[in-house]
Amino acid sequence: MITVDVQKQLGAFRLDVQFEADRETVVLFGRSGSGKSRTLAAIGGLMRPDSGTIVVGGRTVFDSAGHIDVPAQQRNLGYLFQQIALFPHMTADENIAYALTGWSREARARRVEELKELLRIEDLGGRYPDRMSGGQQQRVALARALARPVEALLLDEPFSALDEALREDLRAELLRLRSELDVPVICVTHDLREAHLLADRIAVVEEGRVLQFDPRSEVFQHPASRRTAELTGVRNIFPARGLGGSRVEIDGVAFEVATPVADGALLDVCIRSERCLLRRIEPSEALPPNCFVADITSELAFGNSYTLRFEPVGTGPAVEVEVSSHPYDVLGIASRKRWVVDLPATDLHVMPRG
Amino acid sequence: MQIACLVVDRAVDRRGVGNPRAWSLTWLFVSPTLLFAAFVLVPLVALGIRGWQDGEVAGRLTSPFALQALRLSVVTSTLSLALALVLGVPAAYLLARVRFPGHRLLTILVELPMVLPPTVAGVALLVAFGRRGIIGSALSDVGLELAFTTTAVVLAQLFVAAPFLVRSLQAGFEAIDPTYEDVSRTLGVSEWRTFWRVTLPLARPALLSGAVLCWTRALSELGATLIFAGNFEGRTQTMPLAIITAFESSAGLSGSIALSLVLLAVASMLLVLVRFAHLRPRGDL
Repeated sequence: MITVDVQKQLGAFRLDVQFEADRETVVLFGRSGSGKSRTLAAIGGLMRPDSGTIVVGGRTVFDSAGHIDVPAQQRNLGYLFQQIALFPHMTADENIAYALTGWSREARARRVEELKELLRIEDLGGRYPDRMSGGQQQRVALARALARPVEALLLDEPFSALDEALREDLRAELLRLRSELDVPVICVTHDLREAHLLADRIAVVEEGRVLQFDPRSEVFQHPASRRTAELTGVRNIFPARGLGGSRVEIDGVAFEVATPVADGALLDVCIRSERCLLRRIEPSEALPPNCFVADITSELAFGNSYTLRFEPVGTGPAVEVEVSSHPYDVLGIASRKRWVVDLPATDLHVMPRG
Repeated sequence: MQIACLVVDRAVDRRGVGNPRAWSLTWLFVSPTLLFAAFVLVPLVALGIRGWQDGEVAGRLTSPFALQALRLSVVTSTLSLALALVLGVPAAYLLARVRFPGHRLLTILVELPMVLPPTVAGVALLVAFGRRGIIGSALSDVGLELAFTTTAVVLAQLFVAAPFLVRSLQAGFEAIDPTYEDVSRTLGVSEWRTFWRVTLPLARPALLSGAVLCWTRALSELGATLIFAGNFEGRTQTMPLAIITAFESSAGLSGSIALSLVLLAVASMLLVLVRFAHLRPRGDL
C-alpha cells in the first residue's frame, strides 16, 4: 500500500498530488510536463517535496510536519527509469547483482539466475549494455530493479525508449510479472493505450494536479470533467443545457441521457467516437430519439478503423465517429455520405460545465 | 573552425563518396595541416638525428648528473600527481555536481594557474611560503623550511599542473548523466559506494587523460620551480632544470640533447597510452 499527498513549488509550476495504490497497478496518466514523473521522483526519494506525506507499506518515508525524509537508499523501491540507464561498464549479471551488496557470493549468483529466468534473459549474462537491444536492456534494468525485495515498483515511462513491436512484448511481460509480484505498481505514461492496458486505477494528471483518480473503466467511460475527457481521448464534447428529467439540448436537438439533470443547468455532454452509431432510415420514417441527419465531410483511414467527421444537415452537433473496417465495408460507407447519426442515451455522459 | 571540422568529418565518414563541396574544402585544408605537422615533427626528428650523430647519448644519460635529475623528476612529478588526485578529484566532483556559493570563483581559481606564466607562480609561491613569506615565516618559526627544498619542487609542480587534472575531470563528471547515480541510490547503494562503483569508473577516460596531462605538465615544470625551489643538484634540479644547466655548461647543446630526448620519449609514450585508453568504448558515454 502506498499513500501519496505531496506539494512542491518548482518555479511557476506547482505540484500538488494525492492518490494511493493498494496491491494493484495505478497509472499516472498525463502529458509530458504535467508533473507525473516528478511525483514518481518524490516517492522514490529523488526529489524532496515542500510539504505532505508519503507512506509506503505502512512506513512513513516522508512527512514534512514530522521532519521525516527517508533517503532513497532506504525506501526499498524498485525504480525503473525512462532512460533505462544500465551501467555501461558492467555486464548484465553485474548490473543485476549491483544492488546485492552484503550478500554472499553464492546467494548473489543464485538470485541473479532467478531474476534472469523470471525475465527470460538467461543468455545475456556476460554481455555489456552496448551489445544488447533496447528490449533486452529494459529487461535487465527491470531485473536490476527487482533484485532486492521491494515494497513497490515505480515505472517511469517504461516503454517510451522502445519501438512499437517491442513495446507490445514488454507490456504483456509486465502484466505477467504483475501477477507474480504482489506489490503496488505505479506506472507513469503519456500513452493512452498503455494506460488502459496496464491500469487497475488511473490518476489523470495535469499541471501538477490530479484531475481524476478512479478505476480504469470509470475514467474512460465517465470522465469527471471536460478536461479529463479531452485527455482520455474523447473526441465529442458538447456544451449542453439541461431540460429537466433526463433530457438535454445540444445545438438545438433534444437528447435523452442516462442521468437526471436539472432544468436550465449548464452542462458538458460527451460521447466517445467509437460509441456513436450510424443508421439507415428511409426519409419517410420519423427520426427515432437521439438521432439526427448528418453528412460525412472528411474521413481518415487507419487500416483497421476509419474516423469519420460529420456535419449536421439542419440542426444537431458536429460529431466524429469511429467505425471498424468491417462494418465500414458492410454498410458501404465509402459510397454513401448521408447518414442518420445515433448517440445512444447510455453512452452520452453528462458532466458539469468546465 | 568547428564548422570546417564537421564538414571534413562528414566527408571522411562517407569514405570519399560525399558531396564534392566538402571534398574541395578538405583539399584546401590539407596544405596548412601538413605544414603544421611538419613544423612540429622536424625539430623533434632533428633532435633524434643530432643525438644519434653525437653518439654520446648513452654515456651522458648514465652520468650521475642525469640520473639524479631523472630520478628527482620522476619522484616529484609522481608525488605532485598524487597530491593533485587527492585534492583535485573532490574539487572536480563538487564543481561538476554541486551549485554552491563561490562556484564561479572556484572555477576561475582553478583556471588561473593554467594561464599564469609559471615564473609568476614561482614568485607568488615564494612570497607566500618563503622564509619571510606570509605563511612561510610562521612555518619557519616552528623549524619548517619550504623554499629551496624538494618539497618546494612538488608544490611548484602541484600549483602549475593540478588545474589540468581538475578541468579534465570536471568535464568528465559533467558528461555523466546523473540518472546513473539516481539509479544507484534507488538500488539502496550508499553515496560513497555509488561514487566509487559508478561515477568514477564512468569518468575513467577523463581521469586518465587528466592525470597524464597533469603528470607531464609537472614533469616539464621549469619557471616556478626555478624561482621557488632554486636549481640545486640532487635536491631541486629536475630534468628541465638540468637541461638548462647542461646547455649553459661547457657541454653546451650536446649535453642538453640527451636529456631532452629522454623527456621526449616519456611524453610521447604517455600520449600514445592515453590515445589507446580512449579507444576503448566501454565507460564512454
